[in-house]
Amino acid sequence: MAYQLYRNTTLRNSLQESLDELIQSQQITPQLALQVLLQFDKAINSALAQRVRNRVNFRVFLNTYRFCDNVWTFVLNDVEFREVTELTKVDKVKIVACDGKNTGSNTTE
Amino acid sequence: MACFNPVPKLYRSVIEDVIEGVRNLFAEEGIEEQVLKDLKQLWETKVLQSKATEDFFRNSIQSPLFTLQLPHSLHQTLQSATASLVIPAGRTLPSFTTAELGTSNSSANFTFPGYPIHVPAGVTLQTVSGHLYKVNVPIMVTQTSGRAGILQHPIQQVFQQLGQPSVIQTSVPQLNPCCLQATTEKSQRIETVLQQPTVLPSGPVDRKHLENATSDILVSPGNEHKIMPEALLRHQESSQYVNLPGVVFSPQVSQTNPNVESVLSGSASMTQNLHDESLSTSPHGALHQHVTDIQLHILKNGMYGCESVKQPRNTEEPSNIPVSEKDSNSRVDLSIRVTDDDTGEIIQVDGTGDTSSNEEIGSARDVDENEFLGVIDAGDLKVLEEEADSISNEDSATNSSDNEDPQVDIVEEDPLNSGDDVSEQDVPDLFDTDNVIVCQYDKIHRSKNKWKFYLKDGVMCFGGRDYVFAKAIGDAEW
Repeated sequence: MAYQLYRNTTLRNSLQESLDELIQSQQITPQLALQVLLQFDKAINSALAQRVRNRVNFRVFLNTYRFCDNVWTFVLNDVEFREVTELTKVDKVKIVACDGKNTGSNTTE
Repeated sequence: MACFNPVPKLYRSVIEDVIEGVRNLFAEEGIEEQVLKDLKQLWETKVLQSKATEDFFRNSIQSPLFTLQLPHSLHQTLQSATASLVIPAGRTLPSFTTAELGTSNSSANFTFPGYPIHVPAGVTLQTVSGHLYKVNVPIMVTQTSGRAGILQHPIQQVFQQLGQPSVIQTSVPQLNPCCLQATTEKSQRIETVLQQPTVLPSGPVDRKHLENATSDILVSPGNEHKIMPEALLRHQESSQYVNLPGVVFSPQVSQTNPNVESVLSGSASMTQNLHDESLSTSPHGALHQHVTDIQLHILKNGMYGCESVKQPRNTEEPSNIPVSEKDSNSRVDLSIRVTDDDTGEIIQVDGTGDTSSNEEIGSARDVDENEFLGVIDAGDLKVLEEEADSISNEDSATNSSDNEDPQVDIVEEDPLNSGDDVSEQDVPDLFDTDNVIVCQYDKIHRSKNKWKFYLKDGVMCFGGRDYVFAKAIGDAEW
Protein backbone atom coordinates (compact mmCIF):
# COMPACT_ATOMS: atom_id res chain seq x y z
CA MET A 1 0.00 0.00 0.00
CA ALA A 2 1.43 3.34 -0.97
CA TYR A 3 2.00 5.95 1.63
CA GLN A 4 -0.51 8.74 1.87
CA LEU A 5 2.40 10.82 2.89
CA TYR A 6 2.40 13.05 -0.16
CA ARG A 7 -1.10 14.34 0.31
CA ASN A 8 0.09 17.66 1.64
CA THR A 9 1.81 18.74 -1.53
CA THR A 10 0.93 21.30 -4.13
CA LEU A 11 0.22 18.68 -6.74
CA ARG A 12 -2.03 16.71 -4.48
CA ASN A 13 -3.88 19.75 -3.17
CA SER A 14 -4.56 21.03 -6.65
CA LEU A 15 -5.93 17.63 -7.60
CA GLN A 16 -8.15 17.69 -4.55
CA GLU A 17 -9.49 21.10 -5.47
CA SER A 18 -10.17 20.06 -9.03
CA LEU A 19 -12.04 17.00 -7.85
CA ASP A 20 -14.04 19.11 -5.44
CA GLU A 21 -15.13 21.35 -8.27
CA LEU A 22 -16.26 18.42 -10.33
CA ILE A 23 -18.12 16.98 -7.38
CA GLN A 24 -19.89 20.26 -6.80
CA SER A 25 -20.92 20.39 -10.42
CA GLN A 26 -22.05 16.79 -9.99
CA GLN A 27 -19.93 15.58 -12.82
CA ILE A 28 -18.31 12.90 -10.68
CA THR A 29 -19.18 11.14 -7.49
CA PRO A 30 -17.22 11.41 -4.26
CA GLN A 31 -16.44 7.72 -4.52
CA LEU A 32 -14.80 8.27 -7.86
CA ALA A 33 -12.87 11.21 -6.49
CA LEU A 34 -11.54 8.98 -3.73
CA GLN A 35 -10.43 6.45 -6.29
CA VAL A 36 -8.63 9.18 -8.15
CA LEU A 37 -6.80 10.21 -5.01
CA LEU A 38 -5.75 6.66 -4.33
CA GLN A 39 -4.47 6.44 -7.87
CA PHE A 40 -2.52 9.62 -7.22
CA ASP A 41 -0.88 8.11 -4.16
CA LYS A 42 0.34 5.19 -6.20
CA ALA A 43 1.51 7.38 -9.03
CA ILE A 44 3.45 9.81 -6.89
CA ASN A 45 5.16 7.06 -4.92
CA SER A 46 6.11 5.34 -8.11
CA ALA A 47 7.27 8.51 -9.79
CA LEU A 48 9.44 9.58 -6.91
CA ALA A 49 11.02 6.18 -6.65
CA GLN A 50 11.72 5.78 -10.33
CA ARG A 51 11.96 9.12 -12.02
CA VAL A 52 13.81 11.28 -9.55
CA ARG A 53 17.53 10.87 -9.31
CA ASN A 54 18.92 13.96 -7.65
CA ARG A 55 20.54 14.15 -4.27
CA VAL A 56 20.42 16.85 -1.67
CA ASN A 57 22.65 17.55 1.28
CA PHE A 58 21.85 19.77 4.17
CA ARG A 59 23.26 21.04 7.39
CA VAL A 60 20.92 22.30 10.05
CA PHE A 61 20.32 23.11 13.63
CA LEU A 62 17.83 20.71 15.02
CA ASN A 63 15.16 22.41 17.05
CA THR A 64 12.85 19.53 17.94
CA TYR A 65 12.45 15.90 17.09
CA ARG A 66 9.56 13.55 17.50
CA PHE A 67 9.17 9.89 16.81
CA CYS A 68 5.71 8.42 17.02
CA ASP A 69 4.07 5.55 15.19
CA ASN A 70 7.20 5.05 13.17
CA VAL A 71 7.01 8.57 11.87
CA TRP A 72 9.77 11.04 12.49
CA THR A 73 8.94 14.71 12.69
CA PHE A 74 11.75 17.22 12.88
CA VAL A 75 11.76 20.96 13.08
CA LEU A 76 14.96 22.42 11.76
CA ASN A 77 16.29 25.95 11.90
CA ASP A 78 18.71 27.76 9.63
CA VAL A 79 18.61 25.06 7.01
CA GLU A 80 20.91 25.11 4.06
CA PHE A 81 20.00 22.69 1.28
CA ARG A 82 22.77 22.06 -1.13
CA GLU A 83 22.17 20.50 -4.47
CA VAL A 84 24.57 20.12 -7.30
CA THR A 85 23.16 23.09 -9.12
CA GLU A 86 21.76 25.33 -6.46
CA LEU A 87 21.78 26.27 -2.82
CA THR A 88 18.64 27.03 -0.90
CA LYS A 89 18.48 28.54 2.55
CA VAL A 90 15.44 28.44 4.75
CA ASP A 91 14.93 29.67 8.28
CA LYS A 92 12.59 26.99 9.47
CA VAL A 93 11.68 23.64 8.02
CA LYS A 94 9.52 20.79 9.17
CA ILE A 95 10.40 17.30 8.03
CA VAL A 96 7.88 14.49 8.18
CA ALA A 97 9.43 11.17 7.33
CA CYS A 98 7.85 7.76 7.17
CA ASP A 99 9.74 4.54 7.31
CA GLY A 100 11.29 3.87 3.97
CA LYS A 101 12.19 0.27 4.67
CA ASN A 102 9.89 -2.72 4.90
CA THR A 103 11.56 -3.90 8.05
CA GLY A 104 12.81 -0.54 9.02
CA SER A 105 14.39 0.36 12.32
CA ASN A 106 16.17 3.46 13.39
CA THR A 107 19.44 3.42 15.23
CA THR A 108 20.15 5.62 18.17
CA GLU A 109 22.82 5.72 20.81
CA MET B 1 15.98 21.85 -18.57
CA ALA B 2 14.78 18.82 -16.80
CA CYS B 3 18.07 18.22 -15.12
CA PHE B 4 18.03 21.69 -13.69
CA ASN B 5 14.53 21.50 -12.38
CA PRO B 6 12.93 18.08 -12.60
CA VAL B 7 9.78 19.14 -10.82
CA PRO B 8 7.72 20.28 -13.82
CA LYS B 9 8.50 17.19 -15.79
CA LEU B 10 7.79 14.98 -12.81
CA TYR B 11 4.50 16.66 -12.11
CA ARG B 12 3.44 16.38 -15.69
CA SER B 13 4.25 12.71 -15.76
CA VAL B 14 2.33 12.15 -12.54
CA ILE B 15 -0.67 13.92 -13.96
CA GLU B 16 -0.53 11.81 -17.07
CA ASP B 17 -0.21 8.64 -15.06
CA VAL B 18 -3.13 9.50 -12.85
CA ILE B 19 -5.35 10.46 -15.75
CA GLU B 20 -4.53 7.28 -17.56
CA GLY B 21 -5.01 5.29 -14.42
CA VAL B 22 -8.49 6.60 -13.78
CA ARG B 23 -9.61 6.53 -17.38
CA ASN B 24 -10.99 3.04 -16.94
CA LEU B 25 -12.63 4.05 -13.71
CA PHE B 26 -14.38 6.89 -15.44
CA ALA B 27 -15.47 4.61 -18.23
CA GLU B 28 -16.85 2.09 -15.78
CA GLU B 29 -18.80 4.81 -14.05
CA GLY B 30 -20.23 5.87 -17.36
CA ILE B 31 -18.67 9.29 -17.19
CA GLU B 32 -17.82 11.07 -20.38
CA GLU B 33 -14.32 11.49 -21.59
CA GLN B 34 -14.80 15.22 -21.54
CA VAL B 35 -15.07 15.17 -17.77
CA LEU B 36 -11.70 13.52 -17.56
CA LYS B 37 -10.26 16.14 -19.83
CA ASP B 38 -11.79 18.84 -17.71
CA LEU B 39 -10.23 17.30 -14.63
CA LYS B 40 -6.86 17.26 -16.27
CA GLN B 41 -7.21 20.80 -17.44
CA LEU B 42 -8.34 22.01 -14.05
CA TRP B 43 -5.49 20.22 -12.36
CA GLU B 44 -2.87 21.59 -14.68
CA THR B 45 -4.28 25.07 -14.36
CA LYS B 46 -4.11 24.98 -10.60
CA VAL B 47 -0.56 23.68 -10.62
CA LEU B 48 0.27 26.37 -13.12
CA GLN B 49 -1.23 29.07 -10.96
CA SER B 50 0.64 27.96 -7.92
CA LYS B 51 4.22 28.95 -7.51
CA ALA B 52 5.27 25.35 -7.25
CA THR B 53 6.78 25.20 -10.67
CA GLU B 54 8.00 28.06 -12.74
CA ASP B 55 8.50 26.16 -15.92
CA PHE B 56 5.20 24.41 -15.92
CA PHE B 57 3.62 26.97 -18.15
CA ARG B 58 5.70 26.01 -21.11
CA ASN B 59 3.30 23.33 -22.12
CA SER B 60 0.23 24.78 -20.62
CA ILE B 61 -2.97 24.24 -22.42
CA GLN B 62 -4.31 27.72 -22.10
CA SER B 63 -2.88 29.99 -24.71
CA PRO B 64 -4.06 33.53 -25.04
CA LEU B 65 -4.88 34.91 -28.42
CA PHE B 66 -4.00 38.26 -29.72
CA THR B 67 -3.77 39.77 -33.10
CA LEU B 68 -1.09 41.86 -34.59
CA GLN B 69 -2.11 44.13 -37.36
CA LEU B 70 0.53 45.62 -39.49
CA PRO B 71 -0.15 48.50 -41.79
CA HIS B 72 0.18 48.24 -45.48
CA SER B 73 3.00 50.73 -45.47
CA LEU B 74 4.95 48.40 -43.36
CA HIS B 75 4.77 45.56 -45.75
CA GLN B 76 7.06 47.07 -48.25
CA THR B 77 9.45 47.86 -45.52
CA LEU B 78 9.45 44.41 -44.19
CA GLN B 79 9.85 43.00 -47.59
CA SER B 80 13.23 44.51 -47.74
CA ALA B 81 14.13 43.40 -44.30
CA THR B 82 16.86 40.93 -44.11
CA ALA B 83 15.24 38.83 -41.46
CA SER B 84 12.00 37.07 -42.00
CA LEU B 85 9.15 37.72 -39.73
CA VAL B 86 8.82 34.52 -37.85
CA ILE B 87 6.72 34.70 -34.77
CA PRO B 88 6.00 31.25 -33.53
CA ALA B 89 4.01 30.75 -30.42
CA GLY B 90 4.79 27.44 -28.92
CA ARG B 91 4.59 24.94 -31.65
CA THR B 92 1.25 25.72 -33.12
CA LEU B 93 1.77 28.93 -34.98
CA PRO B 94 2.77 29.01 -38.55
CA SER B 95 5.60 31.22 -39.51
CA PHE B 96 4.97 34.39 -41.36
CA THR B 97 7.41 35.40 -43.96
CA THR B 98 7.75 38.77 -45.48
CA ALA B 99 6.41 37.44 -48.70
CA GLU B 100 3.17 36.68 -47.04
CA LEU B 101 3.03 40.15 -45.71
CA GLY B 102 3.42 41.59 -49.11
CA THR B 103 0.58 39.70 -50.64
CA SER B 104 -2.17 41.47 -48.82
CA ASN B 105 -3.01 44.99 -49.71
CA SER B 106 -4.52 45.87 -46.43
CA SER B 107 -3.18 45.38 -43.02
CA ALA B 108 -2.24 41.88 -42.17
CA ASN B 109 -3.60 40.07 -39.20
CA PHE B 110 -1.58 37.59 -37.35
CA THR B 111 -3.08 35.56 -34.63
CA PHE B 112 -0.92 34.11 -31.98
CA PRO B 113 -2.53 31.34 -30.06
CA GLY B 114 -0.08 31.39 -27.28
CA TYR B 115 3.33 31.84 -25.87
CA PRO B 116 6.19 32.00 -26.20
CA ILE B 117 6.54 34.47 -28.99
CA HIS B 118 9.80 34.97 -30.67
CA VAL B 119 10.25 38.24 -32.42
CA PRO B 120 13.33 38.07 -34.54
CA ALA B 121 15.51 40.91 -35.55
CA GLY B 122 14.43 43.24 -38.24
CA VAL B 123 10.79 43.21 -37.29
CA THR B 124 9.23 46.60 -37.09
CA LEU B 125 6.52 47.01 -34.56
CA GLN B 126 4.12 49.81 -33.94
CA THR B 127 2.69 50.81 -30.68
CA VAL B 128 -0.79 52.03 -30.02
CA SER B 129 0.16 55.64 -30.33
CA GLY B 130 1.50 55.03 -33.76
CA HIS B 131 5.18 55.06 -33.20
CA LEU B 132 7.25 52.68 -35.14
CA TYR B 133 9.97 50.67 -33.60
CA LYS B 134 12.33 48.24 -35.08
CA VAL B 135 13.53 45.19 -33.27
CA ASN B 136 17.24 44.97 -33.47
CA VAL B 137 17.83 41.78 -31.62
CA PRO B 138 15.73 38.71 -31.24
CA ILE B 139 13.24 38.96 -28.50
CA MET B 140 11.39 36.21 -26.80
CA VAL B 141 8.07 37.02 -25.26
CA THR B 142 6.98 34.50 -22.76
CA GLN B 143 4.04 34.21 -20.50
CA THR B 144 4.32 34.74 -16.84
CA SER B 145 1.96 33.39 -14.30
CA GLY B 146 0.13 35.09 -11.53
CA ARG B 147 0.34 38.59 -12.79
CA ALA B 148 -3.11 39.39 -13.86
CA GLY B 149 -3.84 42.76 -15.16
CA ILE B 150 -0.35 43.98 -15.64
CA LEU B 151 -0.06 45.95 -18.74
CA GLN B 152 2.48 45.50 -21.37
CA HIS B 153 3.22 48.72 -22.99
CA PRO B 154 6.65 50.15 -23.10
CA ILE B 155 7.65 48.84 -26.43
CA GLN B 156 9.27 52.09 -27.28
CA GLN B 157 11.60 51.33 -24.49
CA VAL B 158 13.10 48.63 -26.49
CA PHE B 159 12.88 49.53 -30.03
CA GLN B 160 14.40 51.99 -32.31
CA GLN B 161 12.09 54.78 -33.12
CA LEU B 162 11.62 55.35 -36.78
CA GLY B 163 9.47 56.96 -39.35
CA GLN B 164 6.28 58.93 -39.42
CA PRO B 165 3.49 58.19 -37.09
CA SER B 166 0.56 56.56 -38.69
CA VAL B 167 -2.75 55.41 -37.47
CA ILE B 168 -2.56 51.80 -36.76
CA GLN B 169 -5.28 49.91 -35.13
CA THR B 170 -4.70 46.79 -33.29
CA SER B 171 -7.39 44.67 -31.88
CA VAL B 172 -6.85 42.40 -29.02
CA PRO B 173 -9.64 39.93 -28.95
CA GLN B 174 -8.73 38.60 -25.59
CA LEU B 175 -6.34 39.98 -23.09
CA ASN B 176 -5.82 37.12 -20.80
CA PRO B 177 -5.14 37.61 -17.16
CA CYS B 178 -1.73 36.23 -17.69
CA CYS B 179 0.25 39.06 -19.05
CA LEU B 180 2.98 38.92 -21.55
CA GLN B 181 6.38 39.64 -20.38
CA ALA B 182 9.56 39.21 -22.16
CA THR B 183 11.81 37.10 -20.11
CA THR B 184 15.29 36.12 -20.78
CA GLU B 185 15.66 32.54 -21.63
CA LYS B 186 17.90 30.48 -19.59
CA SER B 187 19.50 29.04 -22.61
CA GLN B 188 19.92 32.21 -24.54
CA ARG B 189 20.69 35.73 -23.61
CA ILE B 190 18.07 38.02 -24.91
CA GLU B 191 18.94 41.62 -24.95
CA THR B 192 17.42 44.55 -26.65
CA VAL B 193 19.26 47.29 -28.29
CA LEU B 194 18.25 50.77 -28.98
CA GLN B 195 19.96 52.50 -31.73
CA GLN B 196 22.21 55.34 -30.87
CA PRO B 197 20.99 58.82 -31.57
CA THR B 198 23.22 59.10 -34.54
CA VAL B 199 21.33 56.42 -36.28
CA LEU B 200 17.93 57.68 -35.32
CA PRO B 201 16.36 59.93 -37.88
CA SER B 202 16.02 63.48 -36.83
CA GLY B 203 12.94 64.11 -38.87
CA PRO B 204 10.42 62.29 -40.93
CA VAL B 205 11.67 59.04 -42.11
CA ASP B 206 11.13 57.68 -45.53
CA ARG B 207 10.61 54.14 -46.23
CA LYS B 208 13.90 54.14 -47.93
CA HIS B 209 15.63 55.29 -44.86
CA LEU B 210 13.90 52.61 -42.95
CA GLU B 211 15.12 50.07 -45.38
CA ASN B 212 18.60 51.36 -45.15
CA ALA B 213 18.44 51.34 -41.44
CA THR B 214 17.24 47.83 -41.54
CA SER B 215 20.08 46.66 -43.63
CA ASP B 216 22.59 48.48 -41.52
CA ILE B 217 21.42 47.01 -38.32
CA LEU B 218 23.23 43.93 -37.35
CA VAL B 219 21.58 41.37 -35.26
CA SER B 220 23.88 40.86 -32.41
CA PRO B 221 22.68 39.22 -29.27
CA GLY B 222 25.81 40.28 -27.61
CA ASN B 223 25.08 43.93 -27.88
CA GLU B 224 24.64 45.72 -24.65
CA HIS B 225 21.50 47.46 -23.85
CA LYS B 226 21.34 51.18 -24.34
CA ILE B 227 18.37 53.29 -23.69
CA MET B 228 18.14 56.74 -25.10
CA PRO B 229 15.04 58.18 -23.61
CA GLU B 230 15.87 61.67 -24.69
CA ALA B 231 16.24 60.71 -28.29
CA LEU B 232 13.01 58.84 -28.23
CA LEU B 233 11.17 61.69 -26.69
CA ARG B 234 12.58 64.05 -29.23
CA HIS B 235 11.24 62.03 -32.04
CA GLN B 236 8.01 61.21 -30.45
CA GLU B 237 5.85 63.39 -32.54
CA SER B 238 7.38 62.38 -35.77
CA SER B 239 7.64 58.70 -35.35
CA GLN B 240 5.60 55.66 -35.80
CA TYR B 241 4.72 53.08 -33.31
CA VAL B 242 3.99 49.51 -33.90
CA ASN B 243 1.40 48.13 -31.67
CA LEU B 244 2.09 44.76 -30.30
CA PRO B 245 -0.31 44.69 -27.44
CA GLY B 246 0.46 42.66 -24.48
CA VAL B 247 4.18 42.75 -24.97
CA VAL B 248 6.72 43.96 -22.54
CA PHE B 249 10.33 43.54 -23.31
CA SER B 250 12.86 43.34 -20.63
CA PRO B 251 15.68 45.61 -21.60
CA GLN B 252 18.32 44.01 -19.55
CA VAL B 253 20.34 40.92 -19.22
CA SER B 254 19.20 37.87 -17.49
CA GLN B 255 21.00 38.57 -14.27
CA THR B 256 18.79 41.44 -13.42
CA ASN B 257 15.80 40.13 -15.21
CA PRO B 258 13.49 39.65 -12.29
CA ASN B 259 14.26 43.08 -11.01
CA VAL B 260 13.66 44.68 -14.33
CA GLU B 261 10.50 42.76 -14.83
CA SER B 262 9.16 43.99 -11.60
CA VAL B 263 10.12 47.52 -12.45
CA LEU B 264 8.66 47.30 -15.88
CA SER B 265 5.51 45.71 -14.71
CA GLY B 266 5.13 48.33 -12.08
CA SER B 267 5.61 51.12 -14.51
CA ALA B 268 3.61 49.41 -17.16
CA SER B 269 0.66 49.05 -14.91
CA MET B 270 0.30 52.78 -14.98
CA THR B 271 -0.58 52.67 -18.60
CA GLN B 272 -2.95 49.81 -18.37
CA ASN B 273 -6.14 51.78 -18.40
CA LEU B 274 -4.79 54.03 -21.02
CA HIS B 275 -3.81 51.17 -23.15
CA ASP B 276 -7.10 49.43 -22.85
CA GLU B 277 -8.89 52.51 -23.98
CA SER B 278 -6.68 53.04 -26.92
CA LEU B 279 -6.81 49.56 -28.13
CA SER B 280 -9.34 50.08 -30.81
CA THR B 281 -9.11 53.79 -31.29
CA SER B 282 -6.68 55.94 -33.06
CA PRO B 283 -3.91 56.89 -30.77
CA HIS B 284 -4.06 60.59 -31.03
CA GLY B 285 -5.51 63.44 -29.18
CA ALA B 286 -5.61 63.75 -25.48
CA LEU B 287 -4.06 60.42 -24.89
CA HIS B 288 -0.88 61.46 -26.52
CA GLN B 289 0.18 63.69 -23.72
CA HIS B 290 -0.49 61.03 -21.19
CA VAL B 291 1.43 58.58 -23.23
CA THR B 292 4.25 61.03 -23.44
CA ASP B 293 4.47 61.38 -19.72
CA ILE B 294 4.17 57.73 -19.14
CA GLN B 295 6.73 56.93 -21.73
CA LEU B 296 9.15 59.24 -20.07
CA HIS B 297 8.48 57.56 -16.80
CA ILE B 298 8.77 54.12 -18.26
CA LEU B 299 11.93 54.95 -20.08
CA LYS B 300 13.47 56.33 -17.01
CA ASN B 301 12.45 53.33 -15.07
CA GLY B 302 13.83 51.09 -17.70
CA MET B 303 17.01 53.01 -17.87
CA TYR B 304 17.61 52.92 -14.22
CA GLY B 305 15.59 49.85 -13.60
CA CYS B 306 18.33 47.61 -12.56
CA GLU B 307 19.97 50.21 -10.50
CA SER B 308 16.88 51.61 -8.96
CA VAL B 309 15.80 48.27 -7.71
CA LYS B 310 19.00 48.00 -5.83
CA GLN B 311 19.12 51.58 -4.76
CA PRO B 312 16.52 51.39 -2.06
CA ARG B 313 18.80 49.05 -0.33
CA ASN B 314 21.24 51.75 0.50
CA THR B 315 22.33 51.23 3.98
CA GLU B 316 21.15 53.90 6.25
CA GLU B 317 23.60 55.73 8.37
CA PRO B 318 23.94 54.29 11.81
CA SER B 319 21.74 55.94 14.29
CA ASN B 320 23.27 58.57 16.40
CA ILE B 321 25.12 57.31 19.36
CA PRO B 322 22.98 57.89 22.37
CA VAL B 323 25.08 60.57 23.90
CA SER B 324 22.59 61.01 26.62
CA GLU B 325 23.34 57.63 28.04
CA LYS B 326 26.15 58.89 30.11
CA ASP B 327 24.09 61.72 31.37
CA SER B 328 21.30 59.43 32.37
CA ASN B 329 23.67 57.19 34.17
CA SER B 330 25.12 60.06 36.05
CA ARG B 331 21.71 61.15 36.99
CA VAL B 332 20.95 57.75 38.35
CA ASP B 333 24.08 57.80 40.39
CA LEU B 334 23.18 61.11 41.81
CA SER B 335 19.77 59.91 42.71
CA ILE B 336 21.18 56.99 44.56
CA ARG B 337 23.49 59.18 46.47
CA VAL B 338 20.71 61.49 47.35
CA THR B 339 18.68 58.58 48.53
CA ASP B 340 21.50 57.39 50.67
CA ASP B 341 21.92 60.71 52.31
CA ASP B 342 18.26 61.02 53.01
CA THR B 343 17.95 57.60 54.50
CA GLY B 344 21.05 58.17 56.52
CA GLU B 345 19.44 61.18 58.06
CA ILE B 346 16.24 59.35 58.67
CA ILE B 347 17.89 56.34 60.27
CA GLN B 348 19.90 58.25 62.82
CA VAL B 349 16.98 58.89 65.07
CA ASP B 350 18.58 57.00 67.89
CA GLY B 351 21.75 58.87 67.66
CA THR B 352 25.15 57.25 67.98
CA GLY B 353 25.98 53.81 69.26
CA ASP B 354 23.91 51.92 66.80
CA THR B 355 25.31 48.71 65.39
CA SER B 356 22.98 45.95 64.21
CA SER B 357 20.42 48.19 62.64
CA ASN B 358 23.09 49.88 60.64
CA GLU B 359 24.25 46.57 59.27
CA GLU B 360 20.85 45.73 57.97
CA ILE B 361 19.84 49.05 56.71
CA GLY B 362 23.08 50.45 55.64
CA SER B 363 24.32 47.45 53.74
CA ALA B 364 24.10 49.31 50.51
CA ARG B 365 25.63 52.42 51.93
CA ASP B 366 29.09 53.55 52.62
CA VAL B 367 30.96 51.59 55.23
CA ASP B 368 31.67 54.70 57.16
CA GLU B 369 28.16 54.88 58.39
CA ASN B 370 28.52 51.66 60.35
CA GLU B 371 30.90 53.09 62.87
CA PHE B 372 28.23 53.61 65.43
CA LEU B 373 27.86 51.00 68.15
CA GLY B 374 25.23 50.71 70.75
CA VAL B 375 22.17 49.11 72.15
CA ILE B 376 18.98 49.48 70.35
CA ASP B 377 15.72 49.71 72.21
CA ALA B 378 12.69 47.76 71.07
CA GLY B 379 10.90 50.88 70.10
CA ASP B 380 13.82 52.08 68.14
CA LEU B 381 14.07 48.69 66.56
CA LYS B 382 10.54 48.96 65.31
CA VAL B 383 11.24 52.33 63.83
CA LEU B 384 14.30 50.92 62.25
CA GLU B 385 12.29 48.07 60.86
CA GLU B 386 9.94 50.47 59.23
CA GLU B 387 12.82 52.36 57.82
CA ALA B 388 14.35 49.17 56.63
CA ASP B 389 11.20 48.20 54.82
CA SER B 390 11.08 51.43 52.97
CA ILE B 391 14.71 51.18 52.11
CA SER B 392 14.50 47.55 51.14
CA ASN B 393 12.12 48.51 48.43
CA GLU B 394 14.95 50.41 46.87
CA ASP B 395 17.76 48.04 47.62
CA SER B 396 15.92 44.80 48.00
CA ALA B 397 18.42 42.62 46.23
CA THR B 398 21.36 43.61 48.34
CA ASN B 399 19.52 43.66 51.64
CA SER B 400 18.00 40.25 51.41
CA SER B 401 21.35 38.58 51.24
CA ASP B 402 22.59 40.34 54.31
CA ASN B 403 19.57 39.75 56.45
CA GLU B 404 20.83 38.04 59.55
CA ASP B 405 18.00 39.02 61.81
CA PRO B 406 14.97 36.84 61.12
CA GLN B 407 12.68 39.55 62.39
CA VAL B 408 13.77 41.92 59.72
CA ASP B 409 12.22 40.38 56.69
CA ILE B 410 11.93 42.02 53.39
CA VAL B 411 8.29 42.10 52.59
CA GLU B 412 8.61 42.21 48.86
CA GLU B 413 11.11 39.95 47.27
CA ASP B 414 11.30 38.22 43.94
CA PRO B 415 9.59 34.88 43.74
CA LEU B 416 12.03 32.12 44.32
CA ASN B 417 13.58 30.69 41.24
CA SER B 418 11.67 33.10 39.10
CA GLY B 419 14.56 33.33 36.74
CA ASP B 420 14.74 29.61 36.24
CA ASP B 421 11.67 29.40 34.11
CA VAL B 422 12.45 29.02 30.46
CA SER B 423 9.79 30.27 28.16
CA GLU B 424 8.82 27.46 25.87
CA GLN B 425 7.48 27.95 22.41
CA ASP B 426 4.00 26.79 21.83
CA VAL B 427 4.09 23.39 20.27
CA PRO B 428 1.49 24.12 17.63
CA ASP B 429 3.34 27.23 16.53
CA LEU B 430 6.61 25.41 16.55
CA PHE B 431 5.40 22.81 14.13
CA ASP B 432 3.44 25.26 12.07
CA THR B 433 5.42 26.33 9.09
CA ASP B 434 4.98 26.59 5.38
CA ASN B 435 8.32 25.02 4.61
CA VAL B 436 7.63 21.32 4.77
CA ILE B 437 9.44 18.25 3.56
CA VAL B 438 7.53 15.02 3.24
CA CYS B 439 9.75 12.06 2.60
CA GLN B 440 10.76 8.61 3.73
CA TYR B 441 13.69 7.83 5.95
CA ASP B 442 16.25 5.13 5.42
CA LYS B 443 18.05 5.76 8.65
CA ILE B 444 18.04 8.30 11.45
CA HIS B 445 21.19 8.26 13.53
CA ARG B 446 21.98 10.10 16.71
CA SER B 447 25.17 10.38 18.69
CA LYS B 448 24.81 12.54 21.77
CA ASN B 449 23.45 15.70 20.26
CA LYS B 450 24.66 15.03 16.72
CA TRP B 451 22.04 13.75 14.35
CA LYS B 452 22.38 12.25 10.92
CA PHE B 453 19.50 11.92 8.50
CA TYR B 454 19.35 9.54 5.60
CA LEU B 455 16.20 10.40 3.70
CA LYS B 456 14.78 9.46 0.35
CA ASP B 457 11.94 10.13 -2.08
CA GLY B 458 11.07 13.52 -0.75
CA VAL B 459 9.01 16.48 -1.86
CA MET B 460 10.06 19.82 -0.46
CA CYS B 461 8.02 22.98 -0.42
CA PHE B 462 9.84 26.20 0.35
CA GLY B 463 7.99 29.46 0.03
CA GLY B 464 5.47 27.92 -2.30
CA ARG B 465 8.04 26.44 -4.62
CA ASP B 466 8.38 22.69 -4.88
CA TYR B 467 11.51 20.63 -5.02
CA VAL B 468 12.04 16.90 -5.10
CA PHE B 469 14.89 14.64 -4.21
CA ALA B 470 15.70 10.98 -4.48
CA LYS B 471 18.20 10.99 -1.64
CA ALA B 472 18.93 13.50 1.07
CA ILE B 473 21.68 13.32 3.63
CA GLY B 474 21.76 15.77 6.47
CA ASP B 475 23.70 16.63 9.57
CA ALA B 476 22.19 18.39 12.51
CA GLU B 477 23.11 19.45 15.95
CA TRP B 478 20.52 19.64 18.61
